[in-house]
Amino acid sequence: MAIFRTDALSGLKIDKATENLVRWNVIAALATLAVGGLLGLLVVLTRWPSVHLLPLDYYYRFLTLHGIDALLAWIIFFEIALVHFTSAALLGTRSYVPWLGWLAFALMLAGGAVINVIVLMGGADVMFTSYVPLKGDPLYYLGVILFAVGALLGFIVFFINILLSKRDGGYKRTLPLGAFGMLAASIIAVLTLGHGAAIMVPTWLWSMDLIGTIDPAAYRLVFWGLGHSSQQINVSAMVAVWYMSSAFIIGGKPVNEKLSRTAFVLYILFINVASEHHLLVDPVFSTWHKIVNTSYMMHLAVLASMIHAFAIPASIEVALRKQGHTRGLFEWLKKAPWGNPAFSGMAISILLFGFLGGITGVIFGTEQFNIIRHNTIAITGHFHGTVVAGTTIAFMGFTYLLIQYVFRREIIWKGFATIQPWIYGVGVALLSIGMMSAGSFGVPRRHYDITFSGAPFSFTFDPSIDLFLSMMGVGGVLAVTGGVLYIVLSFGSIIWGKKIEQ
Amino acid sequence: MPQQDHRDIIEAPGVFVLALIFLAVFIVIWFAHLKWLMDVWGVQ
Repeated sequence: MAIFRTDALSGLKIDKATENLVRWNVIAALATLAVGGLLGLLVVLTRWPSVHLLPLDYYYRFLTLHGIDALLAWIIFFEIALVHFTSAALLGTRSYVPWLGWLAFALMLAGGAVINVIVLMGGADVMFTSYVPLKGDPLYYLGVILFAVGALLGFIVFFINILLSKRDGGYKRTLPLGAFGMLAASIIAVLTLGHGAAIMVPTWLWSMDLIGTIDPAAYRLVFWGLGHSSQQINVSAMVAVWYMSSAFIIGGKPVNEKLSRTAFVLYILFINVASEHHLLVDPVFSTWHKIVNTSYMMHLAVLASMIHAFAIPASIEVALRKQGHTRGLFEWLKKAPWGNPAFSGMAISILLFGFLGGITGVIFGTEQFNIIRHNTIAITGHFHGTVVAGTTIAFMGFTYLLIQYVFRREIIWKGFATIQPWIYGVGVALLSIGMMSAGSFGVPRRHYDITFSGAPFSFTFDPSIDLFLSMMGVGGVLAVTGGVLYIVLSFGSIIWGKKIEQ
Repeated sequence: MPQQDHRDIIEAPGVFVLALIFLAVFIVIWFAHLKWLMDVWGVQ
């Protein structure tokens, strides 16, 4: 029996065994995004002072789980789907260790389920950061460890496929650019998950009273090697998705492939140390230590993003000009396939990631600015600009391709699919700008009740924060509407979509 | 022998011009936003 099939739509040679791994990881990603997004709605409706929906304990509980499901589980399940996809389709290689891929999937699923149950039962209201000395149920930390080990095994499957595919002549000198980007993401993932093991295993032992103390400063430093670096996996994977989307949808090729590859190497070398911007107001670390990482090293990673920011739109313009859209400076832009949700998802992601997430990240990540923005909701606005407006929208767009190439189904309700990335994008942009503007007035992040009702001292914010927090609330509701549409369209297409004949 | 043309060609002139437009808009927004923040924070 043939182990490969040639996809009728894309022409890709796809390994059937790996294809199933892609499918189930995408399905798990969709399920976790559905839960994480719903919790996000409840959280944003609580932060919106006019609504203030949840009671205190549920607010922190749901905020913890929103972080875990929407930031970790959805994105990492999707990234594991992407590494399997690049193995099966871009390298055209067979899966050498499919059993390891399924073991990885089972561990991630079990870990994710344990975390969800424990947090919902009230066993770990410790938030995404779980800073010690906040202590959660040992099963919570065990869930995080299981999930992280599963993810690590998923990336190891990718390394094995790359190595053995080279031996078997799957590719010649170097990897295709999309696979190269996913390899960069996977290398960053190993560094990230190493930090995770270094801090989560001792914290798990501490939660069972097998270790007396965990130094809070050491915890914070090592945790951000996990907490922020996991976002750098996202950045690298998202950029790889941009290159792949440009190639699949309009036949885009990077203007200078070596430069794009160099930019991925810059990510591997410098992006992790930039995680220290979380500790810029931490009194434990020296100013030298903070500044060398966030004011020097960080900019080498930013340079990489700037390279991609020009290379990908340029690849799109060159490809569309080759299709004959050469009139004036912008005919190619007008004639781009904006109605294709895979294309518009990619374009919206590039624009919002650059202007909302990227620029604000550089600004907030410098010592002088961080001192007035740290722990305000402006930071929350920044990272919703990166991981939601950037990574999530890019992955949403790519899902529409995976449904056709891997699930072999047509997208249902094409009209709704066309507007879905736009609704989601506008919603997240409003949410992010509202948060960043409110943060400029000192509105704290994470805080349940910024009116400090019942406190012995009162504090009055500038009245304009009501406008910005309302903008955040409206944006949140709009984004969730777009998110629900995405989930319905994806599951609907997978189940009821017309089968694409091979 | 004809001389080879060594002039660089801008392969994506639209993106080049778009980048300049975005840069100009960003600079305007950035300074307007700084001025607004200085008013908010009461910087003299």
